[in-house]
Amino acid sequence: MTAEELDIQLFTTAIKQASGYDFSNYSEKSLRRRLAKVLMDNKMDLKTLVAEIRKNGQFAEKIVKEITVNTTELFRDPAVWQAIRYRILPYFKEHKVINIWHAGCSTGQEVYSMLILLNEVGMLDKARVFGTDLNSDVLEVARKGVYKYRFNIGYLDNFDKVIKENPYNYEIFYDVPYSKYFEIDKNKDLITMNKFLTEKAVFKKHDLVQDDNIFPCKFDIIMCRNVIIYFNYNLQNRVFQLFHESLYPGGYLILGMHETILGPYSSFFEKKEQFYVKKTT
Amino acid sequence: MKVKGFMAKTENIGYKAVIIGGSAGSFQVVTNILQSLPADFPLPLLLCLHRLKHVRSGFVEALSLKSKLPVIEPFDKDAIKPGKVYLAPANYHMYIELGNRFALSTEETVNHSRPSIDLSFITAAHAFQNKLIGIILSGANKDGAYGLKVIAEMGGFTIVQDPNQCEMPTMTDAAINLFPKHNVWTIEKITNFLINLK
Ligand SMILES: C[S@@+](CC[C@H](N)C(=O)[O-])C[C@H]1O[C@@H](n2cnc3c(N)ncnc32)[C@H](O)[C@@H]1O
Repeated sequence: MTAEELDIQLFTTAIKQASGYDFSNYSEKSLRRRLAKVLMDNKMDLKTLVAEIRKNGQFAEKIVKEITVNTTELFRDPAVWQAIRYRILPYFKEHKVINIWHAGCSTGQEVYSMLILLNEVGMLDKARVFGTDLNSDVLEVARKGVYKYRFNIGYLDNFDKVIKENPYNYEIFYDVPYSKYFEIDKNKDLITMNKFLTEKAVFKKHDLVQDDNIFPCKFDIIMCRNVIIYFNYNLQNRVFQLFHESLYPGGYLILGMHETILGPYSSFFEKKEQFYVKKTT
Repeated sequence: MKVKGFMAKTENIGYKAVIIGGSAGSFQVVTNILQSLPADFPLPLLLCLHRLKHVRSGFVEALSLKSKLPVIEPFDKDAIKPGKVYLAPANYHMYIELGNRFALSTEETVNHSRPSIDLSFITAAHAFQNKLIGIILSGANKDGAYGLKVIAEMGGFTIVQDPNQCEMPTMTDAAINLFPKHNVWTIEKITNFLINLK
């Protein structure tokens, strides 16, 4: 049976009853594809999978984790990070604290990218940086801050672009060694984030479908990239409402390179370049 | 002339979209096709092209240079509109959802590719059924062969660039081997066919 023919409602209903997670408002095409992949990986047909989900709560949890797409990179889309560095962070320079939330942070590379950037501009001490995700396995990886070198080697180019070069002035070059932020062990094939970064980051489980703001504060910056592409229009609206409530007026919402706010919440934000700024009124 | 005769048979079918997949050696071909298409081209033209890892930007600009149609990298959930050329964004899979919209995804690479031509083709085949034209151009891997077969099986019209004409014939060969009934055409013939679509 192809992904196109799967009865995804059968699946979402079973998952909801067994685990409480609700995938019924995820984008259909990618959900179908993920489900097809999960069936292949587990060598099951849909009926067997659904039966197993219903009788085994742990199995249901495992499937929830397999359904989510967790791809991420260090300094993914360098142009965005350059803009954060030179256009957004200076705006908060005089603030006493700066609160940042990475929603759907996966294995944490995005959070570490932000911490490295904050350190470079001398704002790390006053920053509180939170990463959340629905998948507790990726959060465990994020907390450790240890990654495969092989998979991340390409992203050192991103680091160079964002940390060493200045796109607004090509005569400037900051000679920052990688070892300032992470240790590369080619033999063990590992990149390990330095302790002052892993100790600074706070990772918590949070479900964008059902949970409210779980932090005792509002935010200056919310970053949520390549997460809402997996949600349908209605669920996207729910998430925009949550982000709107959780931001300070003047706070920034940073979506992925190819994501926009469609629908009613677009009028509550002002678009500045590729970023959304919460309107004051 | 052969093209003309063929047109008579197909022109009233009411195609809803054209989707083109290509890899190494396809950039020039696509540029030429875009240059030839009239400003009032009546369908959306979807492009799923592999690009080199480091060519993440500048691609749209390069394709736009000679195109009379606007070339866009779609955003997630953008509506698919006629007379526009949509290029799958670097590092995303581009799905076609029912309801005539795009959906993007950062899932793992498929056949070492993101965007994956197979995924764009398969989802387009299900969205547009027999109202879809699928075209495979030059390329150095096998991505797209399966997707083109799905388009044909759903009743869509499928074309493979003549492998003799391809800089890299791996992709076209794979498509033909998997499903020999595709139309195998030269670029001139493909371009003519597209120009005459109503
Ligand atoms: C593709 S990753 C994006 C990682 C990172 N933001 C980036 O752009 O590189 C998407 C993440 O969203 C998470 N996610 C999916 N549904 C979620 C939900 N309902 N609540 C919170 N996180 C969710 C997934 O577990 C996954 O880690």
